[in-house]
Amino acid sequence: MVLHPRPNPIVAAMYTLRDMDAEVIVVHGPAGCGFMASRRLEDAGVHVVTTGMGEGDLIFGAEERLVRTLGVVQERFHPSLVGVVGTCASMIIGENLDRAVERAGLHAKVIPVDVHGCSGANTAGAIRALEAAAQRGVVPQEELARQREMLAQATLLEDARGLTSKEHLSPNYGVTKYTAAKRIRDVLAGGGEVLVVLNGKKELAYGHADVLRAMRECTERVGGNVEFMANLDPEVGLPRIRRYAREILRDLNVAGVDIDHVTGGLDEYPVAGMRASSLIKRGHWDLVVACGIVHAIPDLDRSAVLVSDQPREVDNYMREGFATVVSEPDIHSRAMGATGVLRMELADTLRELCREGA
Amino acid sequence: MRQLALYGKGGIGKSTVAANAVASWAEAGLRAWYVGCDPKADGSMALLGGRKVETFLERMREGAPGEYEVGEGFKGARCLEVGGPLAGVGCAGRGIIVALQALCRDHFSDPPDVVLYDVPGDVVCGGFAAPVRQGFADEVYIVTSGEYLALYAANNICRGMRNLGVGVGGLICNAREVPREREAVAAVAERLGIGMVGLVPRHRSVQECENVGQTVVEGAPGSPQAQAYRDLAKAMLANERFAVPRPMDPIELRSLLKELTAE
Repeated sequence: MVLHPRPNPIVAAMYTLRDMDAEVIVVHGPAGCGFMASRRLEDAGVHVVTTGMGEGDLIFGAEERLVRTLGVVQERFHPSLVGVVGTCASMIIGENLDRAVERAGLHAKVIPVDVHGCSGANTAGAIRALEAAAQRGVVPQEELARQREMLAQATLLEDARGLTSKEHLSPNYGVTKYTAAKRIRDVLAGGGEVLVVLNGKKELAYGHADVLRAMRECTERVGGNVEFMANLDPEVGLPRIRRYAREILRDLNVAGVDIDHVTGGLDEYPVAGMRASSLIKRGHWDLVVACGIVHAIPDLDRSAVLVSDQPREVDNYMREGFATVVSEPDIHSRAMGATGVLRMELADTLRELCREGA
Repeated sequence: MRQLALYGKGGIGKSTVAANAVASWAEAGLRAWYVGCDPKADGSMALLGGRKVETFLERMREGAPGEYEVGEGFKGARCLEVGGPLAGVGCAGRGIIVALQALCRDHFSDPPDVVLYDVPGDVVCGGFAAPVRQGFADEVYIVTSGEYLALYAANNICRGMRNLGVGVGGLICNAREVPREREAVAAVAERLGIGMVGLVPRHRSVQECENVGQTVVEGAPGSPQAQAYRDLAKAMLANERFAVPRPMDPIELRSLLKELTAE
């Protein structure tokens, strides 16, 4: 049994529709359902609207409300791609999303996703969104098959070593940025060999990649050697995800960072972590700095510095014996709508320390 | 205030039994209410001269549930229909929950003597169990005939009531003229641990009265059929034997009926 709250299939479906470049997402349910996720998606440029179901709709059905909402969406936003996601309320009473979409008769392509909070792991929502999109020709069948495999691997990973691997995880913000940065700076200043691994998940890599830039800057100031490993293959994934990789590589290139080992695409973190692990074992490192979904990298030495955007994962890692774990939770809000690598606190602390020590 | 709920297989005659029981109580001078929980909202028509009343949920949908006017029928019997969505949309069960909460809040400040909830079909979701789960009816009766499928449904309802920990007052046999029907229903009731509270024979007067929008108690007051309903209504109020039922395995039910037919 897992007690802590965690991402749900509805939100995963919404994020996946964003990945497909849906311009509008209609949440068919109560006004507050998916509220926090909606705000973030709006920051990424997606219009999120709700049908705002009430008690009467629960009893009598809310198909008319959805049809009307879709009509307003067309008039107001003139979209070419629209997603409709179910919620617990609408799906439990058996709302027929397909029929409502057909009745609304939009010019835009509409992807109805029959999903609710009890549909299973959050990845189930992503898979349902991809399946609905593939049915309508928005996603090629080969891409659907690849994504299914990745999402299955992601679910297994979370059960084995991630968010659902322990009965309860509390939010934990880890050690201070100063403590982690000082450790990295000291190894570099001592002429150490450092490997930096970015195992990013989609847009969150915009934040984590700043550590790579700061490491390059620091080696120039205090010495040491650094190698870079990242899942930044710009030829993998949906067009939007490929764009993330291109933009991050562009900014890393400007900062003088060349990726020595590419482990996969930005939506391949479950398997990219495995590839990273085997590459790590081939070398000898005085320090490994791992950022992103680091529990996807098996057999990491407990002396590694870990950077996570999820405070509950920080708790998970510290309970697994890692001492230097840093949290960067605001990546989630800042990465939405980003078009380049973001300045993050650990990276800035490292820059500051290395300037002082130079 | 006594609050009773009638359950039973769809089409077994629950609403007919319910309307005639309420008519019997009203005729005896009791302040009696009929609360129909079927979205079709037609169970009270026999008490109302064939009229259909506006449903509670329709009025709620219009934003004025407090202004709902309870129908007044035969001998002052009060009739309320919960109503609900059209078939295939929304959630009728949720409708029952919401309506009963409001009913309790707005309409029972001056409690009547007896309320009968007429609940559709089998126990299919939490909403249909609402009349017995939320402090409303504390006495359950199950209408059945001697036919296997009706008894099978009664057994399933007993399973639901056992899950809810609700005491059942007994089976009501609404006869279909199946051979050895009384014995069959009585034997099943005994096996379920709840007893049989009464039997209503099959008679054409039921259909004749329904055709003109009346209960038998109103339309054929001097008939033996009307007396059967009166006896049943009286027996329900006099009943003091309530038990959480012990449902049977369906195979056991079949064997029991087979034994009775073979004798």
